[in-house]
This record gives sequence, C-alpha cells and structure tokens, in this order.
Amino acid sequence: MTSAADVEQKLRDKLKAADVTVIDTSGGCGASFDVAVVSDQFEGKRLLDRHRMINTALEEEMKSIHALSIRQCWTPEQQKAKQPS
Amino acid sequence: MVVAHSALLQGSLAISCSHSRVYRAAHSLRQSCRLPASRCTGRRGRQASQIVNAESPSIQSPQTLSPELKSALEKFVQQHNVVLFMKGTKQFPQCGFSNTCVQILQTLNVPFESVNILEDEQLRSGMKEFSQWPTFPQVYINGEFYGGCDIMIEGYQSGELVETLEAALNS
Repeated sequence: MTSAADVEQKLRDKLKAADVTVIDTSGGCGASFDVAVVSDQFEGKRLLDRHRMINTALEEEMKSIHALSIRQCWTPEQQKAKQPS
Repeated sequence: MVVAHSALLQGSLAISCSHSRVYRAAHSLRQSCRLPASRCTGRRGRQASQIVNAESPSIQSPQTLSPELKSALEKFVQQHNVVLFMKGTKQFPQCGFSNTCVQILQTLNVPFESVNILEDEQLRSGMKEFSQWPTFPQVYINGEFYGGCDIMIEGYQSGELVETLEAALNS
C-alpha cells in the first residue's frame, strides 16, 4: 500500500520540491491522492509537462494508485504570487 | 468567459456523435489490434472503416502497444478534432473524472468523440503507453494529447482550453 508520506517523500526527492502537500482521499486504501507541489524544476515547463514530471516521479506508486489529482504544480515564484504571506 | 459557440460549432456536423457510433469507434479500435486484416473487412460502418488500418497480423503481448493499434489511434485522433478517452460513455460516465471532462466539453458546446476504454483492456493499456499518461480520462485536441482531468479543469478556468479548442475547430 502507498501512503501519503511515501508520495510526499518521492516528490520531494525526485522533483527537489520545496513544498509538497499530499492528501489521502482514498478513505484508507491508499489508492487515491490529492497533491500540490512547488518545485523550481517546473520553471519554464508548461502544465502538461509539469504533470508528466509528477507522473514520472510517482511511476512506481502509480501502479497501485487509482486516482491522482494534481491540484497545484507551481514554481516557487508562482506560489509567492498566488499566496502572499 | 464568452465562447464563440457558432465558431466552435462550424463544421461540427461531421463529428456529431451517437451512442452506436461511439461504440463502433471503440469496437473498431479493438478489432484493429486483434484481428488479422482479412477479418477486419465487412460488417463495419463508415467510421470504422476510416479508423481500422489493419495490416499484417502480429503477435503482441497484451501489455504493449501494437503497431496496428498505434497507427489506428494516430489516425483516429487526427481525424477528430476532439477525442475523449474515458471510463464509460458520455451518456453514462463511469468515473467522476471522466464525467468532469464530459461536463466541461458539453458546457463549452464542443462536439467531441468519446471512446470507452473500459470496453477493452488492450485499448486501455495501449492508451496509457500511447499518451505516456498513466490514468484516464485523456483528451486529444487536433491529434495532440491535451491532458487529463486536472489539466482540463485548469485550462477551462484559465480560458486556455477555449483558445485551444477554437484554434482546433477553426483549423
């Protein structure tokens, strides 16, 4: 079974993500996640390619994940612009 | 966001889509990856004959994208401006994400072809490889992979989807 922590760790490692939020939406079976990723590796990449990067990073996990919703995949600059703190 | 519906609808007659037609599309895609050419003729609608390009039969592992299926898919997504590979049919989606894509396209009044990948395991696994995308739905616009459900939602919200569709349907 894949846990939210597994998914988060993979995204942090593979995409050098600065900020990762993973929510297990499966109700316990570990087959459905919502993710939000902030990584400077997304710089200059269009949305489709960013999603592909996430899919590739989670290639192993995707075999057992039924549904992955990518809510956000932002560069650090986009995150700053969208969530002024 | 204002959509030029009339512009989007121009030339849509050719791709208006009935249930039986969708079925035939999925059916012929299935046939194209399974049957030798000699069995792929006859008892087939106009669209099916357009899609099926059965060449010499070959033995393929069920998990791989056969050259026949690949060329049939390439043709199919080129021939239709907008294709939604989904779970279920547009009349009866069998997955919330697929349903979302149907709703978006219908809200935008875009004629589209849908293919039910649940009808065939080889098509389902073949599409994942064809698109290099692990999940469904998958949307093709003008022969190019546009994205899955999240990208459709984001494109719809930003207006980028409408731009892409208008360009595609006016080309």
